[in-house]
Amino acid sequence: MDSCASEPEPASSQTLTKNALKGERRPMANDDAVDPAQYLRNRIQRLALQKESGLNPYPHKFEVSMSATEFIRKFGSLHVGEHVENTEISLAGRVLNKRSSSSKLYFYDLLGDGAKIQVMAEARHSDTDENEFAKYHSAVKRGDIVGICGFPRYNLFAPGYATGKSKRGELSIFPRSLVVLAPCLHMLPKHTITSNSAGAQHNHSWTPGTTRNPETYVLRDQETRYRQRYLDLMLNPEVQKMFRTRAKIISYYRNFLDNLGFVEVETPVMTMAAGGAAARPFITHHNELDMKLCMRISLELYLKKLVIGGFDRVYEIGKVFRNEGMDLTHLPEFTTCEFYMAYADYNDLMDLIEKLLSGMVKELTGSYKIKYHGNGFDSEPIEINFTPPFRRIDLIEELESRANLSIPKDLSTETANRFLLEACEKFDVKCLAPHTTTRLLDKLVGHFLEETCINPTFIINYPEIMSPLAKWHRSKPGLTERFELFVNKRELCNAYTELNDPEVQRQRFAEQLMDRQMGDEEAMVLDESFCTALEYGLPPTAGLGMGIDRLAMLFTDSPNVKEVTLFPTMKPQD
Amino acid sequence: MEGLKVWRLSSSIARPSNLRQLFGFGAPSPLVLRCLNTVAAANAATNTRNRRSSTSTSTPTSTSDREAVRAIRLKKVEQLRSKGLEPYGYKWDRSHSARELQEVYKDLNNGEELDGESHHVSIAGRIVARRAFGKLAFLTLRDDSGTIQLYCEKERLLNDQFEQLKTLVDIGDILGASGSIKRTEKGELSVKVDSFSILTKSLLPLPDKFHGLTDTDKRYRQRYVDMIANPEVADIFRKRAMIMKEIRKTVESRGFVEVETPVLQGAAGGADARPFVTYHNSLGRDLYLRIATELHLKRMLVGGFEKVYEIGRIFRNEGISTRHNPEFTTIEMYEAYSDYQTMMDMAEEIVTQCALAVHGKLAVDYQGTEIQLQRPWRRETMHNLVKEVTGIDFTELEDDLKVAKDAVLKAIGVGIDSKDKSSIEACPSLGHLLNEVFEISVEPKLLQPTFVLDYPIEISPLAKPHRRHPGLTERFELFICGRELANAFSELTDPLDQRARLEEQVRQHNKKRAETVADGTEEKNKNEDSMYEVTLDDDFLTALEYGMPPASGMGLGIDRLVMLLTDSASIRDVIAFPVLKISQ
Repeated sequence: MDSCASEPEPASSQTLTKNALKGERRPMANDDAVDPAQYLRNRIQRLALQKESGLNPYPHKFEVSMSATEFIRKFGSLHVGEHVENTEISLAGRVLNKRSSSSKLYFYDLLGDGAKIQVMAEARHSDTDENEFAKYHSAVKRGDIVGICGFPRYNLFAPGYATGKSKRGELSIFPRSLVVLAPCLHMLPKHTITSNSAGAQHNHSWTPGTTRNPETYVLRDQETRYRQRYLDLMLNPEVQKMFRTRAKIISYYRNFLDNLGFVEVETPVMTMAAGGAAARPFITHHNELDMKLCMRISLELYLKKLVIGGFDRVYEIGKVFRNEGMDLTHLPEFTTCEFYMAYADYNDLMDLIEKLLSGMVKELTGSYKIKYHGNGFDSEPIEINFTPPFRRIDLIEELESRANLSIPKDLSTETANRFLLEACEKFDVKCLAPHTTTRLLDKLVGHFLEETCINPTFIINYPEIMSPLAKWHRSKPGLTERFELFVNKRELCNAYTELNDPEVQRQRFAEQLMDRQMGDEEAMVLDESFCTALEYGLPPTAGLGMGIDRLAMLFTDSPNVKEVTLFPTMKPQD
Repeated sequence: MEGLKVWRLSSSIARPSNLRQLFGFGAPSPLVLRCLNTVAAANAATNTRNRRSSTSTSTPTSTSDREAVRAIRLKKVEQLRSKGLEPYGYKWDRSHSARELQEVYKDLNNGEELDGESHHVSIAGRIVARRAFGKLAFLTLRDDSGTIQLYCEKERLLNDQFEQLKTLVDIGDILGASGSIKRTEKGELSVKVDSFSILTKSLLPLPDKFHGLTDTDKRYRQRYVDMIANPEVADIFRKRAMIMKEIRKTVESRGFVEVETPVLQGAAGGADARPFVTYHNSLGRDLYLRIATELHLKRMLVGGFEKVYEIGRIFRNEGISTRHNPEFTTIEMYEAYSDYQTMMDMAEEIVTQCALAVHGKLAVDYQGTEIQLQRPWRRETMHNLVKEVTGIDFTELEDDLKVAKDAVLKAIGVGIDSKDKSSIEACPSLGHLLNEVFEISVEPKLLQPTFVLDYPIEISPLAKPHRRHPGLTERFELFICGRELANAFSELTDPLDQRARLEEQVRQHNKKRAETVADGTEEKNKNEDSMYEVTLDDDFLTALEYGMPPASGMGLGIDRLVMLLTDSASIRDVIAFPVLKISQ
């Protein structure tokens, strides 16, 4: 995209302002010609002049009678040329584009709360005289936030109408008055039309579950989009919809659980020991108590304590933190939902999550199928089908049949370890040291099974050695009643019938310790307070954890988790 | 069976004399195996003839008792397994919760039984009390909705299940049971059990009231035990969930969108507080835990969202007290094109809706004071409130700070402690002084809901200057029960003014820090309030330069709201697992 070069660089640090403040006074130049720093200096100068003359360039309030969305909903059915001059309405938003055909006529595209409407400012409708009108409007800049009082009408000057494409013209607001509520001091990046994006540039029709093309965005530079998300939201109309979709996902999830009688709780973020998952925690320090604290890496152990305390159905939606490297699907902080249901087992949860996910997809997209660039934006999108029931495959059985192996039943032995190591070598499946049985098996599963999971698929019955918190299988020795749900080859959920025998739990922690001693730093640490809690009796319970970010990625055609995180952690800028 | 019924009610209202009386009532010296956590029950247990040796009876306080119980119960685990019974079951299908049964069969007459397919029910929960006679046993089962009695007759139970019940089931175990419905002659609704299953064998004895209730530290550390012993503790957290739900409902019905902004940040801004610091290994840099959500939510307004909110955890590296936990939950909300008047209405709406959801009424008792939440609430300026309480009219005070301080000390100096006095002396401006007088003299008196308006600009770096009164801002704080519940302003949108104010804040902070360094020893400095760095959030200032619409915003402390609406004295009562000092 060499077209990026012509975009003005968005201001990203204070230096610009500081320089601008020092800058000497110069006459205003034509906007498109000036360089961004000069533009900023001009704007700041004007601000200073306004303040000197006793004007407040930042008014305290503007009474809005309706949002842009309501405006479209309410007046979308007006007839051509029909206008309701007695209907006084007021609305506000940001000027995304400005055109003038004469000093008596200005057009603006106004963006308010995700909706775009046209403003047609004519001197003859204005409350002020023509001179004032021209003077005020010539000073309004692209990016300014303005408040408008006026009336609605179909504008016959709209491009579509003039060329005969549209018989109705475009619904517009005709201002009687227009006031700048907050000036934009920087030059906004403009859309630069490129050969392959020309056709799709104003794609306002994006809906959850359909594909996107970020190459057509007004603001395309990824770094800038993530570091200055407000510009991304302002200039790329889909992005607001993506985050509204994220909010809807969480809200659907919450309602679904609430309707089943689950109670939402909050467990601590900072704890004495980080348990419930295999990951490196963030460490911090409480000054007054002079105490080391870890940030949680999972919600599991505290939520199970609440089940022990008598909450039969409990959940939490919250941030979890892992002190690990960042890549397309991993950020140091992310949002998960975990829920625990007493007297249920993992079979119940498979049914429940199937219903939840397929229902959510149906509700948000209108069908069970979503389109997703599973192989990057360069390849054709794939279709992911959430029609229930989801495929269920047994981990060991499926692995044996796909790789034509006969895996030893007792996985805790040295023989089993050697067998799997050889299998990895045979199939050229890479596994970095330490070669614990858990890690070897995990790699084989990734290679042979996860790769086949495009549509939602439950991989069930994980071995005990891989699942220190899951209950042993009621009929298959060495295995647990655990499943992971994979969509587009990635883990979306992890769930099991919870291990509630405190003695067995202690043994499992001890086995983890052995892996740790072999060099696996991510093996789980014994949490004595959790084992004690189990001794008071955890009812038979099934629990599930789901990554909200990954779910949001699927709905918004985002192969990168930063796309669905408002302000992702970024590397420091030089 | 009356005894059991009373027990169920008793955990919160134990009045030993009444209970003892009731326990003595009628029943021909029942065998009380071990009754949970009531004074009366323990008394009853001690009075019983048939006190059983190990698994039965009172208070295993010492470690050895506990270990003994554990060993015995572990044997029972083995015994069950040897019979082919799994002491940690996999699942249980419930047809009803205890409360549902109590409701469905509320009209069943005493002594009446309902057999037949449609009255065959199945329930599960924890056994919290038990009495056994020769061929009859009564168990009280509690699930998360309430309690119900299990009526167990030897003839009716399959095989040797009655024997199992007597020898292998302990109080604290989790049982699933099914059977028909019967209301006893004494009026106790019961499930007449024809089969049951031990779903989870508990290994540790539940505490009784002596132990569990008085040891506050343990109550917080092992909250789950507290909840088992005292169901009303769990109720606080159910109410907390209701309040959260009600807040969300209230703001979403007004079009607010929920967003998530980062906890880990390069610079912690939006408030004046010491942040927690952590280190990100792969980035090789320090990160701060957020001390407010304000600056990121305002970026959302710049980005074009007009109504946003976030409910989330905030972290401040400060001392712990009955009002402070290092992590706490707030809702922050921002609405474009509105001013702080809008947020006053919003605060009233949120708090009253929550009160109605929890109590069904607007008169709320908090620690013995009746709080009237009927709208509208009093709205008064800080100046007027200070004048009203202390007689000092700050509008008439000279600009000379020294003179003003003398006037203040003359007016309220008698009866305040030396710490307050030195705070007054230390005030760097008239605005700070006004606020100090307000905090000392007025705040504790604001029991009924009061909006305190128009704070001095010196202490409000993110609020817009007042449109009519120079030196003041369009800011309010909401006080109930002498505590700040919410803080809101017409947001400062002028990027140049904002930069100047934040730079001034950093300057002030660094000055204070330098002074501390100058006159303190190394050791003392470590815990001084000001010994942390305050950095400017430049990205935020840049965002403002792109233009943020006029807006108002509010932060409301959810823990404090829950305290108010659940009549809880300490923040630790409303946070499931509060931060505690390292146990000895």
